[in-house]
Amino acid sequence: MEHPILFISIILEKMGLPVPHGPVGNGILEQLCAPYMTYTWLVMVFLFIVAKLTLGNLEMVPGKGQNFWELVIGGMDDFFADNMGRELADQFFPMIATFGLYIAVANLIGLIPGFMSPTSSINTTLALTVIVWLSHHLIGFRNHGLGYYKHFMGPVWWLVPLLLPIEIISNVARLLSLSIRLFGNIMAKETLLAILFMLAGGFFAPLPIMILGVLVSLVQAMVFVLLTVVYFSQAQEHAH
Amino acid sequence: MSDLKKEFVQLLANYGHIGFTFVSAILVGLGAGIVLDQKVFDGRTAPWFTFIGLAFGIAAGYKTLLEIIWRTKKEEKEKQQQKDKREHEE
Repeated sequence: MEHPILFISIILEKMGLPVPHGPVGNGILEQLCAPYMTYTWLVMVFLFIVAKLTLGNLEMVPGKGQNFWELVIGGMDDFFADNMGRELADQFFPMIATFGLYIAVANLIGLIPGFMSPTSSINTTLALTVIVWLSHHLIGFRNHGLGYYKHFMGPVWWLVPLLLPIEIISNVARLLSLSIRLFGNIMAKETLLAILFMLAGGFFAPLPIMILGVLVSLVQAMVFVLLTVVYFSQAQEHAH
Repeated sequence: MSDLKKEFVQLLANYGHIGFTFVSAILVGLGAGIVLDQKVFDGRTAPWFTFIGLAFGIAAGYKTLLEIIWRTKKEEKEKQQQKDKREHEE
């Protein structure tokens, strides 16, 4: 899907940098200038600057910005602690909260004309998913040692030949479903918006989809965080 | 966010991913079966591993489905117990 106008790509082209016109460019410079990369950096810069502006000097009596962050971070912290225990939540809070904030902002940014969601590229979502998937196995091995394999064996020994492939398949399917769900939802939103803009942008046809887009963006960020938390807590639990 | 909206988003997050999870489990099972048939055994065993993989994939899909249901049931039970306890103390 070729996006109509992406201002960062235009600026980069004016600067003489190669911007790929396909999904992925060839050559490292062209790959670095791909829209999903540049907009990922934009989201990162945005999060850095907003955090710096609002949390630059912490005060005992919070102002508007600090209040907002205290609400968001406090809510997420409570949610993690409820679902996977205080200890694990403290260890992995920076990672999961960063993923949540990044995905939410990256999803929402695509609703503004001239921007695109970095999460509408499978590369971004697959990268996030691989990190989550590897770290939930890491938690499992760290907590149970080699006994972690019992998670894949089922409750009784004579069910092992039946349950082992099922468990392995459902575990690998996490990798697929987590990445493709986020990618698919956001790409569908972007594509639908672009088509509606093209067909009937003058009659405000994309407006209802934009409202739905806000909901989808927030829900998908929430789903990603929730599933990450669930996987982590399952890896930490004792085998059934 | 009001309580109703929060609950709505949470419900969507809890159950909205069921479809994708189910389908991807089936696809992984089927894909593993096809790879076993075509790449590992060079098509000599076709189509048996494909069918076995498909069956395991469907079973894995149902397993993830049941896990989601059990998880939410457990959470509801715990919440109910806490509520009962609180009411009992009062």
